[in-house]
Amino acid sequence: MAILESKGLSKSFGSKKALDGVDLKVEPGRIVGLLGPNGSGKTTLIKLANGLLVPSAGQILVNGLAPGVETKKIVSFLPERSCVPDWMSAGQLAGFYADFYGDFDRQAAENMMARLEIDTKAKIRHLSKGTREKLQLIMVMSRRAKLYLLDEPIGGVDPAARDYILDTIISNYNPTASVVISTHLISDVEKVLDDVIFINNGHIVLSAPADELREQQGKSVDQIFREVFKC
Amino acid sequence: MLGKLLKHELQATSRTMLPLFGLLLLVSALTNLAMRGLNGSRELPPIVSVICVILLILFMVGVMTVGIVTLWMMVQRFRRNLLRDEGYIMHTLPVSIHAQIWAKVIVSGLWYALSAAALVLSVLLMAADVEFVRDMGKIFGELFHAVMGNVRNVEILLELLGVMVLAGIFLSLMLYASLAVGHAFSKRKMGLSECIFVAFIVLFNVLTSVSSELLRTLDIFPIAQDTFIIGAWRAAMGLAAGHLVVYAAILYAVTAWFMKHRLNLD
Repeated sequence: MAILESKGLSKSFGSKKALDGVDLKVEPGRIVGLLGPNGSGKTTLIKLANGLLVPSAGQILVNGLAPGVETKKIVSFLPERSCVPDWMSAGQLAGFYADFYGDFDRQAAENMMARLEIDTKAKIRHLSKGTREKLQLIMVMSRRAKLYLLDEPIGGVDPAARDYILDTIISNYNPTASVVISTHLISDVEKVLDDVIFINNGHIVLSAPADELREQQGKSVDQIFREVFKC
Repeated sequence: MLGKLLKHELQATSRTMLPLFGLLLLVSALTNLAMRGLNGSRELPPIVSVICVILLILFMVGVMTVGIVTLWMMVQRFRRNLLRDEGYIMHTLPVSIHAQIWAKVIVSGLWYALSAAALVLSVLLMAADVEFVRDMGKIFGELFHAVMGNVRNVEILLELLGVMVLAGIFLSLMLYASLAVGHAFSKRKMGLSECIFVAFIVLFNVLTSVSSELLRTLDIFPIAQDTFIIGAWRAAMGLAAGHLVVYAAILYAVTAWFMKHRLNLD
């Protein structure tokens, strides 16, 4: 069974259609790039999978279930910007995740914080923006989830931080789980992707395994993306 | 999961509320000393008299601040935690929307009660051994007995407290429903929330007027002449409680529906 599946999924905001009849399947154990320019519908799709939005038409299923309390137990979500409560300390944040998620590996989180020299007693509001984003990623990747939904995890960070973030994702995700990485920075993530989904104006325009695509077209995914989305 | 939400909600809010209570009680104790000074001697140096008056003013400001901060805290927590960026974390926790709303309602109710207790304690502390405040307390007590007759104070107090708890829940839910509806829009979220709050006030006032008139016409609460005051009191409390329960249920449904179907965390 697909870990994430949508059937005729549409979402409108007023007269604007953010997603229009999207059909997709993400199989377990795959790292999938959800690739598209800004405003293409990537974030809307991820929000729908998290139950943060309700579809206008069609359906989205996580492990065969509509988003709800049960699916939230197996989905680990990284929002596009840092959203952690800034009054907490890093240690309190780890306690918060451990309280609510049975699959949270606190030891793994503490090890990653130690490697980044994040003081667990420091208030989050006193950390730099980059460190706050890394801290949030640490919390998300310390879960042994079945599906990781990462919305623009490398957007707005420097190249060194991008490498750290991708390393953290690759070295911490549960290999039987799936990871969906939404981004428009293709060249940075291309090396880790098993499958790619191109999305534009709320439609899926291409969906294929990354290696197959590269072989067929003799180009990198980044080059294909630039051709497909040429302005 | 509700227990865990309550634990984190209490942690988040007690950082502000507990120091505030501490400050209020400190000002009350100092005001008590000042009032003893003002009461006990007519020959105080002018600077001491000024300090005493400032402390008295500070006490009154402190009392008002506790009330305002409790209300402000409740609004801010709901908005920041569920309707803005932190909402991305809170709404992806494996808990139902009902648990999220109840956690906020229960904790805000708790802070209302603790604020009321802190205010009573601060007044008692301020008035301890101060003669004229004690005299005023006596006068109010005698007045109460004269009006209410032989009904036990504790019964009246419990009825009043029950209605006050319901009123607190109703107020919380009216603010939450206004915020939930206002934040479903993409622009001017706070402005719209305020407008919706005013609209709710108007709506519930109209509904209360209509239903009260209807109940009066139907004579559902007959009041005997010999126990007129206590009868009227009981009828008023019963009516208030009934209205508050119905309105709170409506507001809860509005809040839950909008947060489930019209969440907009831009």
